[in-house]
Amino acid sequence: MHRRTPLALAALVAAAVLSLSACAPSTSPAPSGSPDADSSVVVRLALEPTNLDIRQTSGSALDQILIDNVYQGLVARTPEQEIVPALASDWTVSDDRLTYTFTLREGVTFHDGQPLTPEDVVFSLTQHRDNAGWVDAATLTNVTGVTADGQKITVTLSEPDSQLLWNLSGRAGIILKEGDGVDYQTASNGTGPFTLERWTRGDNITFARNPAYWGTPAKAAEVVFDYIPDNQAALNAALAGEVDVVTGFDANLKTQIEANGDFSLVVGDSTDKGTLAFNQTSGPLADKRVRQAIRQAIDHDAFVEALGAGKTMYGPIPSLDPGYEDLSEVAPYDPDAAKKLLADAGAADTTLTLTIPSFYPATISQLLVSDLNAVGITLKVDSVDFPTWLTNVYTNHDYELSFVLHTEARDFINWTNPEYYFTYDNPQVTQLYTQARAATSDEEAAKLLAQAARIVSDDAAADWLYNGASVVAVGTKVSGFPSVNVNERLNVTELGKSDG
Amino acid sequence: MIRYTLMRLALLAAGLVVASVIIFFTLRVLPGDVAQLIGGTNSTPEQIAAIRERLDLDAPLAAQYLDWVGGVLRGDLGASLLTGTPVAAELAQKAQITLPLGALSLTIALLFAGPLGVISALRRARLGGTVIGVGAQTLAAVPVVWAGMMLVVVFAVWWGVLPAQGFPRDGWSDPGAALRSLVLPALTIGIVEGAMLLRFVRSATLQAMGQDYVRTAASQGLTRTRALIRHGLPNVGLSVVTVLGLQVAGIIVGAVVIEQLFSLPGIGRMLVRDVSARDLPMVQGELLALTAFVLLVGFVVDLVHRLIDPRQRESAA
Repeated sequence: MHRRTPLALAALVAAAVLSLSACAPSTSPAPSGSPDADSSVVVRLALEPTNLDIRQTSGSALDQILIDNVYQGLVARTPEQEIVPALASDWTVSDDRLTYTFTLREGVTFHDGQPLTPEDVVFSLTQHRDNAGWVDAATLTNVTGVTADGQKITVTLSEPDSQLLWNLSGRAGIILKEGDGVDYQTASNGTGPFTLERWTRGDNITFARNPAYWGTPAKAAEVVFDYIPDNQAALNAALAGEVDVVTGFDANLKTQIEANGDFSLVVGDSTDKGTLAFNQTSGPLADKRVRQAIRQAIDHDAFVEALGAGKTMYGPIPSLDPGYEDLSEVAPYDPDAAKKLLADAGAADTTLTLTIPSFYPATISQLLVSDLNAVGITLKVDSVDFPTWLTNVYTNHDYELSFVLHTEARDFINWTNPEYYFTYDNPQVTQLYTQARAATSDEEAAKLLAQAARIVSDDAAADWLYNGASVVAVGTKVSGFPSVNVNERLNVTELGKSDG
Repeated sequence: MIRYTLMRLALLAAGLVVASVIIFFTLRVLPGDVAQLIGGTNSTPEQIAAIRERLDLDAPLAAQYLDWVGGVLRGDLGASLLTGTPVAAELAQKAQITLPLGALSLTIALLFAGPLGVISALRRARLGGTVIGVGAQTLAAVPVVWAGMMLVVVFAVWWGVLPAQGFPRDGWSDPGAALRSLVLPALTIGIVEGAMLLRFVRSATLQAMGQDYVRTAASQGLTRTRALIRHGLPNVGLSVVTVLGLQVAGIIVGAVVIEQLFSLPGIGRMLVRDVSARDLPMVQGELLALTAFVLLVGFVVDLVHRLIDPRQRESAA
């Protein structure tokens, strides 16, 4: 092990130099050797999809690996949330922003060899809009028509929708083969650069390079997603050389994984929002002063420090999403102010219960208990498994405080829905959001969203303990691994491994 | 013997029926259901209702239970609500890991506990025996997880001689690689289970040493050790057989923990995954199969015990 250290160090220095000179802002450092076209890269992921039905099964574990790699839409998004062409080579938007015309690429085939036709696009988008049970169907409610004329696909809207292209780069825009007989729960048939080679439930999902891909072929011949839920087991696997990349890593284990020089930690932004929800329909939390007191009692910097990565956030919109602004002045850490607010609200000696899914680190509830204890709130912690949380908190709203990491990008819509478990109801916010969606420019939309987000934060509708980071340990032989928001999307087309 | 076997068989069947009721209805008490999991944190109540209907989750419980038991009697354990995979097929696949793991663990436990248990009894007054006794006491108290961690650090991370986690992706097609990936998990379970077994063997040996027949044999000129080996050990073996049933249950529990720790795609990990997905047809199929296995081992152990223990044979005749 020690013999290898100087060599690995040299490689690391070389990699660092190369990464400085190369223009690859959102991928990991380039390794010293060039990628081997026959390589198989093993990537550790923590959360396995419950099944592979991209149409009907929710969960970012599906989006993460299946979109971009296996399934594609007319358009795609980069990790920096920029909209780029995919199955459509280009598109135009009418001046009234009600008509989108896409040019569908020719010569695209599905993995089973069937050709992609304009009718498939019409079928997919229409089905997605009309099947209420499909994930994100609601995002297409503005779509009044999808028609095809040759390779031209026209999507018409009832009112302008500044989110349309972004939504089409997600679940709602995925193009499937019309009348396909594939069993979507366990298999797949897309147009992407990878085919699903194997799914061994409870173990791994393996992608193979699609030799018939219409675009630039994938760098790696095979990518294996190894599902290892336990962080310590993942660390061991990395140290023993069994995986090439570890995602969802614990930044506190940085020195351990970098010790032998085979890995380096890459930290990028993410849209993970550590959301402390308040049930504000009744009880002490119905009083805004109590909610504000809780926010000011929490030392957000301490959370970021304890997690070893990420940053603070003081409103519902993370820095990667449009409408972000620094709202730290809304709820600065000030235990004395918090005590005073609680006294004013007649809630100086309150007991509250936090419902938290058990897979989150214990640090979160420990820090909350001590921060709130310091201002006179006794916090009881009810650690439950995720399905229990879904029933009690999400569905029945039977909770006082809840913590969940919301990973989805651009999910502000939940603050406009009083039926959502956030129990937040402010018509002004809903109106601003509706205006933002109908806005005719991205700048205007972002401005309106920022206004809405500020109101949500001013109302102390929730607290945001931290904005998580994408923490990835990348092997020194590995290149092209995305570093931004990998929990939401993990495009592995550029991923490669050198043999040297 | 035939009457005994039949009675014991009826007991086994009754046990399974009771188990099926307990398994089915306690699972229904768990909060949360698979429809909510499929719907996730952006779903509407209408969406959840549509999923529930698609999966037919709203039928009366009694009808669901009879459906399930009827299926089991026809040899159909049910299928996953998430993937449609038959429970039996996936169990058979995962058993390719868990069965060898269990067998290997048991072998290690026996190899470790048998000789050491007897030695520590024979040398109980000396340093060696005391060290073994205290060592076993300590090991038995060690959490399986910790033992596993230590083994991984030494063998996989420091020496790099055995894999730290996982199972070959192509299964048993390379038996050497497959076996190597089971060594550390089996050692972990085997040592902890073995430590418990060791204490049992030790006390059984001590008891045998005090028996009249050993003392008589010794008085007739055999050394005490030889007297014990010839006359005492068969009795020790008998009592060990009786606890094997319990050991098997212990090993299954160990496998559930260890398969998480080593990321082995076996029955234990499948069970944990299906519980946390509330894929109840899978969970109940898996639990029933495991229960049947433990009951069956108990059944066989009882029969074997009766066959090899002449005292029991006579009293039952």
